[in-house]
Amino acid sequence: MRQNILFLMAAVFTGILVWNMNTVYGLPQQVQNVGAYKIIYLHVPAAFTAFTGFFAAMVASLIYLGTSKLKYDAFAGGVTEVALVFATANLLSGMIWARYAWGIWWTWDARLTSMLVCVLMYYGYVMLRQAITEPTQRARLSAVMSIFGMAGVAFVYQSIAWYRTQHPSPVLGFREGGGMGPGLEAPMYWNFLAMLCLAVILASVRMRQAQFATEIDSLRRMAHNH
Amino acid sequence: MDPREFQYTFFGLLIVWLCVAGYALSLALRERKLKAELERVRRMVEKN
Amino acid sequence: MMYLRQILTIAGKDLRSEIRTKEALNSSVAFSVVILILFSFAFDQAEGFEAFLGGLLWLAYSFAGALVLNRSFARELQNDCLDALISSPAPPSAVFLGKALANYGLLLVVELLSLGVFAVLYDVRLSGKLPLLLLVSLLATWGMTVIGTTFSALTVNLTMRELMLPVLIYPLLIPVLMSAMVLTTGMLTDVPIATNMVWLRVLVAFDIVFTGLAVVFIDDVLVG
Repeated sequence: MRQNILFLMAAVFTGILVWNMNTVYGLPQQVQNVGAYKIIYLHVPAAFTAFTGFFAAMVASLIYLGTSKLKYDAFAGGVTEVALVFATANLLSGMIWARYAWGIWWTWDARLTSMLVCVLMYYGYVMLRQAITEPTQRARLSAVMSIFGMAGVAFVYQSIAWYRTQHPSPVLGFREGGGMGPGLEAPMYWNFLAMLCLAVILASVRMRQAQFATEIDSLRRMAHNH
Repeated sequence: MDPREFQYTFFGLLIVWLCVAGYALSLALRERKLKAELERVRRMVEKN
Repeated sequence: MMYLRQILTIAGKDLRSEIRTKEALNSSVAFSVVILILFSFAFDQAEGFEAFLGGLLWLAYSFAGALVLNRSFARELQNDCLDALISSPAPPSAVFLGKALANYGLLLVVELLSLGVFAVLYDVRLSGKLPLLLLVSLLATWGMTVIGTTFSALTVNLTMRELMLPVLIYPLLIPVLMSAMVLTTGMLTDVPIATNMVWLRVLVAFDIVFTGLAVVFIDDVLVG
């Protein structure tokens, strides 16, 4: 059952991607005088996926603290790791675009900085998980870390938004702003869906590995007790 | 499309997939290691 | 009332033991002075140097602060004092607040001493700017203390404690350090405070939000 769902997701992911590649290829080369803009068809969905992941991990962490069921901790750990990959991809692709459009790799702008802080903080989270071997202790402490991390990211974002911003302001239709133009946004949302499918596949593989690890642990304990 | 723009677009899109592929690879390696370890521990338990 | 007394007892205990040994205080002050001297070599008071002053000061504070915060819960590991503290009638949040209060005092002392060195080395005139500087220091240091004490408790049982703490706290401290740096630099270069009001608000909001979070979740960190 679980495997079938994952196969279905992989199919959806591949289907959307191939179909979208064709659509994006046919789009105009520049929009509102911005070149190399097609990077955003992966850049923005990667950011959405990452934040969805971090947020889901925070919710799972809260549920873990309420219920003490280790499966929520495994979920939080797996999803955070995958989200971290997408956050890194978002940062790197953004840097390449910035190099083209602004002539610089990096600038201390609200979105860039908050994403970087996010990556640093959740990298700390992953390190923290690796540093603790006892499962319930790891679950408790990393859950608190995840909650603090989410609050921290919100804070960094707010404080730097007041400071200065160079990033293209939100042009997507669902916020204020006119939208990018007819037919330009839809492929991005489809790509978001595709990336979410990919993230779910990766996270479920990671969670199964966590299961293996606990199995190994309990077998070892059995071997010791004999 | 001028070559510079094409280059940047290409690498900007490529790097996303590189990140994902790198992570998938690390997952696969970890999976292999874990399975081997599981096998080893299982045999150890059976022997006892 | 009882709760307040518990907090004060724990804070008093921590301060007394620190005053007797001075292990955290000595190393922290020495470290902060060394950093300030190194910065002063590195930047050699070039032109436009004033724009860095706040940043230098707060970097030194935050580096030195990590030394104090590292010790906060680690010092309770000997003789299982931590377990005794947790099983004492004081609730975990009182233990946390007491320790935070003690750390707050220690950090402020370290900052005061470093500020003297800073003023001498960088030829900064502080007269007339002290009240505002004090306000910024009080607010920002409380933010540092809350995050630092929480994570000191969180990492206390790890083998890599000393390595993990900085990795975990500095990214979280970015809003605090950034506002403190902007405010301090603005103050030292005579920018009117009204233009930087927003940063003062960031500091206050940060203190409130993270104190609340810490008090709510410290039970999970310490007891579990």
